[in-house]
Amino acid sequence: MSPAAFLLRRPVAAICAGLFLFMLSVGTVLAADEPLGQRTYEAACSPCHASGVLGAPKLGDAAAWAPRLKTGLEALYASALKGKGVMPAKGGQAALPDAAVQAAVRHMAQLGAAPAAGGPAGATAAAAAASVPAAASAAAVSVAAANTFNRLLRAPGRRNLPPAEDQIHDPGNDGTLLLQPPLTAFEALPRSNAGNRVDWVKALGGTHITPRADRLDPKAAPMVMDLNIVREVKGSMPDVVYPHKQHTEWLDCSNCHPAIFVPQKGANQISMASILLGQQCGVCHGKVAFPVSECRLCHSKAKPASATAVGAAATASRASP
Amino acid sequence: MKPEHRPIPRSRWWSLAALWFALALCLGAAPAQAEYGDVVINNHSDAAGMRPVIFPHWFHRIRYRCKVCHADLGFKFKAGGNDINMVKVIDGQFCGACHNGDVAWSVENCNMCHSAKPGTPTQVHESTANALVARNAVAASAPGAAAAPARK
Repeated sequence: MSPAAFLLRRPVAAICAGLFLFMLSVGTVLAADEPLGQRTYEAACSPCHASGVLGAPKLGDAAAWAPRLKTGLEALYASALKGKGVMPAKGGQAALPDAAVQAAVRHMAQLGAAPAAGGPAGATAAAAAASVPAAASAAAVSVAAANTFNRLLRAPGRRNLPPAEDQIHDPGNDGTLLLQPPLTAFEALPRSNAGNRVDWVKALGGTHITPRADRLDPKAAPMVMDLNIVREVKGSMPDVVYPHKQHTEWLDCSNCHPAIFVPQKGANQISMASILLGQQCGVCHGKVAFPVSECRLCHSKAKPASATAVGAAATASRASP
Repeated sequence: MKPEHRPIPRSRWWSLAALWFALALCLGAAPAQAEYGDVVINNHSDAAGMRPVIFPHWFHRIRYRCKVCHADLGFKFKAGGNDINMVKVIDGQFCGACHNGDVAWSVENCNMCHSAKPGTPTQVHESTANALVARNAVAASAPGAAAAPARK
């Protein structure tokens, strides 16, 4: 064993033990009717394999799993049972029966071979993985893991999951299984990179969807007002253009005025801090409307050239001693 | 032979700190897999022995504009802020305005709304405030306690 692996082994074991205690303490109840493999995966493997920490191949990441699946199930069983690299034997939970560990391996291998929400991109990744050496795919995994650490991004395997797998619906509830999986509705809609990963404004404008403006009357039309409000902002960000049109397509005037925004120019002090905390624009943006990661959808009007020049000069004078 | 006891070298502290940081992030990120805008409402459910309610915004906005519920029906923009109960729903208020067997399916399908894991706190799932203020609200808050982020 290399010294590096030895150094890492003990923290990994500590992490596994810590996670196990954490799960117990928050009362994570594993439903008895879930298959053994999935249950074991969630109890012992997911702490590392859900996020890809320490280079662990992520669940559902076809590119990372392809080279490993080539070695065959027996080799994967052996790695899981005896440990490999920084992974301790049985994921650090020595009490697990061998059969449970093997079932977990099969569970992960299955999802690795056929990603749930792969689509064309997943297929491309899998095809690419066939020709990419293992070292390169390990690098790809660590990049993906870095992205999951950004709270505004979501790893491919966690996007638009069906209700039973989304961690807040109870998979042991019969009603959960009757609910529509989001992807079946989103397939036909224009996509975006954040939130539901659906561009709702385009979906409405392009008549992909025709949501009613009245509870009962399918023909009722919304009162749309076409008026842009430009808000000059401090700092280097482009100014904000607020379009009434896209908002009144969805909302009524009374939704925002006067409780959230006083309908008068200059009467509303708005800051990103309050938006992030769910006030003003943040009443919707960051909860249901596109999230605040999409800066340029609001900050969309370049500052006048003169203002930019002045700003740049000021920055330059500050920078020079 | 008894191994010699030495203080942990500085380099190892850094690797430990990095690992625990990664662990904290994993714990914070792990539950965030449900759909953006899914609202969990647990004002009374846990206490009444029912699963908490999950309201999927995405499903409803395909069929109705925001104003139908938030202006016409009077839903406030606040998770758990409407004090909805089954008496009101059956009386035709809030959800009951449509979930009456006429516009949408009726209240006898209890488990289609009451579908969250027991003990899930009231929240707007994956809201920015949720991520910033209460990463581990799920772990910290007792069942039935409303999570802070949805409150103004």
